[in-house]
Amino acid sequence: MIKVENLKKKFIRYENKKIKKEFYADNGITFEANDGEIIGILGPNGAGKTTLLRMIAGILEPTEGIIKFDNLNYKNNEIEIKQNIAYLSGNTKLYDTLSAYELLKMCSDIYGVQKEEAEKRIQEITKILKMENFLYNKIGNLSTGQTQKVNIARCLVHNPKYYILDEATTGLDIISSQIILDFMKQEKAKGKTILYSTHYMEEAENICDRVIMINKGIVIKQGTPKQIKEETGTTNLRDAFFTMIGGGSDEE
Amino acid sequence: MKNNLWNILKKELREMFRDKKSLSMMLVIPIFVPLIVLGMSALFDVQANKDIEEYNKIGFAYELSEEEKNIAKELDIEVIEGNTDELKNKYENDEIDLYITKEGNKYIINGNDSEVTTYAKTLMESYFNVYKEYLQSGYLQENNVNPNDVLNIITVEENITEEENMFVSYIRNYAFVFIIMAITVSATYPATDTTAGERERGTLETLLTFPIKSRDIIVGKFLAVTIASILTGIISLILAIISVAIAQNAFSIYEGLNIMFSPISIVLSVIIIIAYSFFISGLCIAIASSSKTFKEAQSALTPLTFISLFPGMIAFMIGVTGTPLLSIIPFINYTVVFTDTSAGNVDWLNIALMVVSTIIYISIVLTYIIKQYKSEKILFSKE
Repeated sequence: MIKVENLKKKFIRYENKKIKKEFYADNGITFEANDGEIIGILGPNGAGKTTLLRMIAGILEPTEGIIKFDNLNYKNNEIEIKQNIAYLSGNTKLYDTLSAYELLKMCSDIYGVQKEEAEKRIQEITKILKMENFLYNKIGNLSTGQTQKVNIARCLVHNPKYYILDEATTGLDIISSQIILDFMKQEKAKGKTILYSTHYMEEAENICDRVIMINKGIVIKQGTPKQIKEETGTTNLRDAFFTMIGGGSDEE
Repeated sequence: MKNNLWNILKKELREMFRDKKSLSMMLVIPIFVPLIVLGMSALFDVQANKDIEEYNKIGFAYELSEEEKNIAKELDIEVIEGNTDELKNKYENDEIDLYITKEGNKYIINGNDSEVTTYAKTLMESYFNVYKEYLQSGYLQENNVNPNDVLNIITVEENITEEENMFVSYIRNYAFVFIIMAITVSATYPATDTTAGERERGTLETLLTFPIKSRDIIVGKFLAVTIASILTGIISLILAIISVAIAQNAFSIYEGLNIMFSPISIVLSVIIIIAYSFFISGLCIAIASSSKTFKEAQSALTPLTFISLFPGMIAFMIGVTGTPLLSIIPFINYTVVFTDTSAGNVDWLNIALMVVSTIIYISIVLTYIIKQYKSEKILFSKE
């Protein structure tokens, strides 16, 4: 289980390189994600989704608040937590000079997967994701879809308990997006917890057990897609979102 | 999990050796060392063995006496007589190397400032010294004085032991200074690529999600750059030793001299190369990781190439020798310790101070970078 309590992140921005301005990208976010759940983090650009997931993935340090993974926290158990996480964002880049196989081998070494076990897992993942044709090709020479498959394979190689996916389908074609959505369904079925941020509301409606809607760094609504639609008297999450923010787009 | 430092080092080395630019920095830069050794030796050789026929055509705007002609003949001077205007013309057309005019007892050496003129002027100074002595002897004899009693009223003998031939010292020290520069150049590119480059390519975010301590990430990167620098240093040293051996046999200025690196100076060169590689790699990574972009990092690191070259070069050109204080001043210390060792003065205190100060500098630099890698600024400095 992932527990997030009153999570805040303050940034400092300089206007005209002189005037110091503090602002909260996330301001008091609280939620829980149970095992075997896909939680959708929804909101427009600049809502604070990426900052939230980066804090949960341990890339950013929160200004305030608590993040717990099965009662473990970053302060005392950073390495143990990260060992059970896979983080994949739309911007996640891989090492172009390595082959897909070398990358997967490197990841299994880093996550401490035993040599024989790692080899077995790489072969399995290669079959599942149909990567046989390009496993030994340099990542720099792969297509976007093939690279995304390698990215997913990288997340699977250490058999993590938690997936943090930040707009992982953004900019991908329909086939590459489907690869990620299928992958999420399969992992959910195995009892894994998935945090999935997106601004594609329809996609979230179809795949998420619960959604958390964020705007300007605060949670404006959370619940199952069905609950949210009922409470807002709308037929889809897009309309529900606009109803809650009171009209048109409110992107920063 | 315990071997994550090794995993990072392996990953960095693999990327470095597959990157053509990093590889060429590592392997191509050392080629300049033999070019410098052989090129400078050739230059010294030409200067030291200039053929007299290239600067012995001297014009005389007056009639020479028999004695003057004899002195000129003895000194291999080719006498060209004529009036001032004719000689001036010939000089301007490069037919003669200098011309002499005479006003009573005053002789004037005429010419412009050039390399050939300088050689010709030195030749004519010898000529006039001999001629002056001849005239003085004649005058003294006419006045019944033994010329020897006056001209050799005192005698001077030289009893100076030359510690090292100037050319030998120059060639060895220049070779070493360029090894230091090669190490600096070879450290800057991988240091930039592994820090600012990794951030720009977006792979640093991936790296930071791995269960690896930031200390292991940065130490792994630091060791990879250090290994690349040491490799460049050792290749450069090997090429320097080979080229010095070739120069020893190829150029007559080194005849009868031993210009080879002594075993102790080779051992100490390796120690200095290792110490300097650690130092410069840490410094390059610290500077590059503070830069927002790859380009900014490259611009920030460019002055290091000159800083690594000039203090050491100036120190050996003005003949600075090692002191405990100089042994702890970065950049100068490595050259001064090498220069002393190369000249046969091995001072273990200075060597120890150089090593210890390097360890302290590296510790400070690494502490700074590890702190930086814990800060989110390192990842999001562009945002």
